[in-house]
Amino acid sequence: MTTETPGRAGRRALHRPGDGAPGHDEPGGGPKKKHRRGVTERNRPLWLLTPGGVLMTVVILIPLALGIYMSLIDLDQYTLRKWLSTPFIGVANFVEALTSTDLLRSIWISVSFAVISTIVTVPLGVAAAVVTQNAYRGRAVVRAIFLIPYVLPSFVVATVWRTMLQPDGIVNNLLGKVGMGGGLWLNGPQSYWTLILVEIWAAWPFIYLLALAGLQSVDHEVHEAAALDGALWWRKLRYVIFPYLKGPVSLAFLLGTLNHINNFTLPFVLFGAPAPSDVNVLPMLVYVTSFQSFRFGLSAAMAVVSLILISIPLFIYLRAVRLDVHEEGAKK
Amino acid sequence: MSATVSTKRTRQPARSGTAARHPNAGRAKQVTRLMPTPLLAVITTLLCIMVLVPIVYIFLASLNTDAGVARGEFWPSAFSGESYVKIWTSVGLGKAIINSILVSGSVAIVSAVIAVGTAYVLVRFTFFGRLTMLRGLLGLQSIPGTLMILPVFVLFSSVGTYLGISVIGTLWGLFIAYLTFALPFSTWVMVTYLRGLPRELEEAARIDGASNLGILFKIIVPLSWPAIVVSGIFAFLLGWNDVLFASVFTRPETHTAAIALQVFSAGQEGGAIPVYSQMMAAALVCAVPVVLLYLIFQRYLVGGLTAGGVK
Repeated sequence: MTTETPGRAGRRALHRPGDGAPGHDEPGGGPKKKHRRGVTERNRPLWLLTPGGVLMTVVILIPLALGIYMSLIDLDQYTLRKWLSTPFIGVANFVEALTSTDLLRSIWISVSFAVISTIVTVPLGVAAAVVTQNAYRGRAVVRAIFLIPYVLPSFVVATVWRTMLQPDGIVNNLLGKVGMGGGLWLNGPQSYWTLILVEIWAAWPFIYLLALAGLQSVDHEVHEAAALDGALWWRKLRYVIFPYLKGPVSLAFLLGTLNHINNFTLPFVLFGAPAPSDVNVLPMLVYVTSFQSFRFGLSAAMAVVSLILISIPLFIYLRAVRLDVHEEGAKK
Repeated sequence: MSATVSTKRTRQPARSGTAARHPNAGRAKQVTRLMPTPLLAVITTLLCIMVLVPIVYIFLASLNTDAGVARGEFWPSAFSGESYVKIWTSVGLGKAIINSILVSGSVAIVSAVIAVGTAYVLVRFTFFGRLTMLRGLLGLQSIPGTLMILPVFVLFSSVGTYLGISVIGTLWGLFIAYLTFALPFSTWVMVTYLRGLPRELEEAARIDGASNLGILFKIIVPLSWPAIVVSGIFAFLLGWNDVLFASVFTRPETHTAAIALQVFSAGQEGGAIPVYSQMMAAALVCAVPVVLLYLIFQRYLVGGLTAGGVK
C-alpha cells in the first residue's frame, strides 16, 4: 500500500492535464478536488446497486429491526406462527435475561475467553511473521505449514479436536503414557481451557497474516539505517520494526477479539448444544435459548445485549477504518 | 502496463519472495535480518510442531482402523483405507458434499457477479449515501450470525406461512442467507481493488462511446479477475464453513457437509466402539475442497485477505 501510493499519485498527476472526464473538476484544483476525477454524476447506472441492496435490506437490515422488535414481545413456540399479533411486553425480556438467566455469566465467559485468546495469539502470530520475513531455503514450506490451521474449516478443526480430546482419545492416551491424567476436556471446568487452547491453535495464523502484511511495509532503507547504526537485533526489532507493526497489530487485536466473541462454530461443534456451563459463551446461549428452549423473545433480547457488547470494539474498528475511507476518498 | 499495476496489490506477498532472490541477495539478507539464526530456528520449529503434530495424527488416524485408533495407537499397526470407504455410507457424506458444493458454488458465482456491479457503481460514481453505503459494507461484515439467525428464521418461515413458499429446509434458504452475508465482504474486496485500477482505459472507452455496461464488462471485469476470484472464493468458504445457519435451515436430505459431520460426530458418542478413524477421515474429506482452493489460488487469497482485513 504505502509503496504503491506515490506511483499512483504520479500517474494521476501525469494524466491530469489531458483529463477529459465529465464532472465538476476545476482544472488544477487542489488535492481535495481530486477525488471527483472519474467519479461522474451523469448517466449513473445506479440500478446495478439493486440486487445487492435488496438482498442486504431484506436479509440483514429488516431482520435486524425485526430482531429488536422481537426482543420486546412475548414470543415463544406457541406464538411464533402469529408473531405479528404477539403482545408487546416492553423490556420484560431484558429484565428476565439479566436477572434470571446465565446471560451475565455468559458475557463474562465470552469476554475473558476472547481476551485471553487474543493475548496469546498476537505474540504467536507476530513471531511467526518475523521468522518468515527473510528468505531461506524451505521458507515456502514453513509458510504453508503456518497457514494450515487458517485454511482448515472451523468445523473440521473442532471435529478433529473433539475426537482427540475424548476421554479415551489420543490426548489422554499420550498424557497417560507420561504419567499425567488428562481428565475431562469436553466437560466440567477444564472445558473452558479446552476452548481457549483450540481457539488459539486455530486463530493465530490470522494474526500472522496481518503482521506479515505490516512487515512488508518496512522499507529496505530502514533496515540499512539500522544496520549502519549497528543496532542489536532485539533493539532493532523493538525500536525499528515493531513501530511499523503497531497499526496491523492493533487491528489484529480488535478483529481477533471480535472473531473470538462471535465464534459459534467452535464451541458448538466441540461441545455440542447445550454447551457445558463453563463454555456457555454468548452465541451458544442465544442459540440454545432460541432453538432448544424456544424462548424466542428472550433470545432476541440476549442477542440485542450481545450486539451492544460487540458494538464497542466494532465502533473503534469502524472509526479507524472510516478515516481510511476519507483518506482514500481524498486521494482519489 | 495497467494490468501489471493493477495486480500489484494482490501479489505483494509473492513479491517480497522474488525481491530477496535479487543478485545481491546475500547482502540484503544480512541487512534485513531480524534475529539470530538459532533463535529463528527454535521459534520456527516450535510453531511447526504445534501445527503439525495434530495434523500428522489426524492423517495417521484416518488411515488406521476404528479399532486401532480405539486402542490408542499413534502409529497405525496396519495402514488401511477402510475408513475412507465407510464414511460414504455411515456419515452420508456424498449427498452432503453435493449439497455443500451446490449451495456454496452458486453463492460464489452470484455474489461475485453482484459484487462487481455494486463495487463499480460505488467506486466510479457519486450519489447520495455513497459513503454511508461504504461504511455499511464494513459494519455489516462484523454482524454476528447468532444475532441474525432468529429473525431470518422467523422471516423465512413467515414466507412459508403467508406466501406458501417453503424456504426453511430447502437449499434455497441457505443460498439466500449465504449470498447476503457474503456480499458485504465480497463487495468490499472489489471496492478496494477497483480503487487501485487506473481510469484511463475507462475514460478512453467512454470517449469512444462505450456505455456503462460496456465499460463494466469489457474493461472492469477483464482487469479485475484476481479480485473476482478472491471475492468468489471467500463467498464459497462462507457457505462451506457455516454451521449456524445450516443447523437450523436444513433437513437431513439437505444437510451440508459441515452438518453431516457434526451430526455424525455427536451421534456416535456413547456407542460401543468409537469410530474415531472414520471421523478423522470424514473431517479430512470435508477439508479437501477448501485446501484445493487455497493451493490453486494461494497468492490471490493471501493478498485478498489483507486487502479486506487491513482496509
